[in-house]
Amino acid sequence: MPERVRPTVVGWDFESLVRQHQAMVYSIAWHILRDRAVAEELAQDVFLSLHQHLGELESPEHVQFWLRRVASNRALDVVRRRQRRPMVSLENAPEPVAAVKPGDPMLGTALQKLVAALPEKARAIVVLRYQEDLDPAEIARILGIPVGTVKSQLQRALGLLRQKLARSLGEISI
Amino acid sequence: MNLDDELRSALQRQEPPPEFAERVLARVAAVPVRMPRPWFRLPVMRWAAAMAATVMLLAGGLEYRHYEGERAKAQVLLAVRIAANKLNKVQRKVQMISHRSNS
Repeated sequence: MPERVRPTVVGWDFESLVRQHQAMVYSIAWHILRDRAVAEELAQDVFLSLHQHLGELESPEHVQFWLRRVASNRALDVVRRRQRRPMVSLENAPEPVAAVKPGDPMLGTALQKLVAALPEKARAIVVLRYQEDLDPAEIARILGIPVGTVKSQLQRALGLLRQKLARSLGEISI
Repeated sequence: MNLDDELRSALQRQEPPPEFAERVLARVAAVPVRMPRPWFRLPVMRWAAAMAATVMLLAGGLEYRHYEGERAKAQVLLAVRIAANKLNKVQRKVQMISHRSNS
């Protein structure tokens, strides 16, 4: 049986890294995929991959960037694989059945569903913008796309979300 | 309503299911980690060792052939020297006999 080797970066404990970043990685996967089982499996895979690449990462910031990038890209891969099956576009996505009001817990769930129905790239951009509070330049680095594309997709996604939500909220201005 | 704020609230980080970290650590422990190969077990080193052994065998063979050649040459020279001695002795005897018969 092969002898186990700990990651070589001094002072980094893998278990602490998992506990520190598990919510971030799991939530990126969950908000993009909206499937708890798949999100957990994907998050586990991301940490397994982190364990294999830990020796290549230089700082805690590098680890965080790496985890965001790998989690986002793997979640997008899963979405693309699913898209080989028929999928409902945002424009045709079913809207929340019950009317919702600002502050209503149902509003959060409705928004999550609407975000999950965005095109995959826009979905990842919105998740990284609002879950991780990243600016467009950081999102562009993580997804490997131009900043201009991030900005335009974000604006378009927000416009679509406003339209869909306005129908549910009725008169309330957003 | 501010859509940015509502999105931040809706897309807050969520904790993974309980025991998530334990499951990750169990999977990590189950995956065999590749040990870095010692330098002498690298494929290139095996090739180098095979080449070195071949070169040494060839050099040894050539050296042996050279040694055998030298030994054969020395034996031939020795044989020639012995034959020359014998011939000299015979020649001296012939000369002594012809001297006696003349005198």
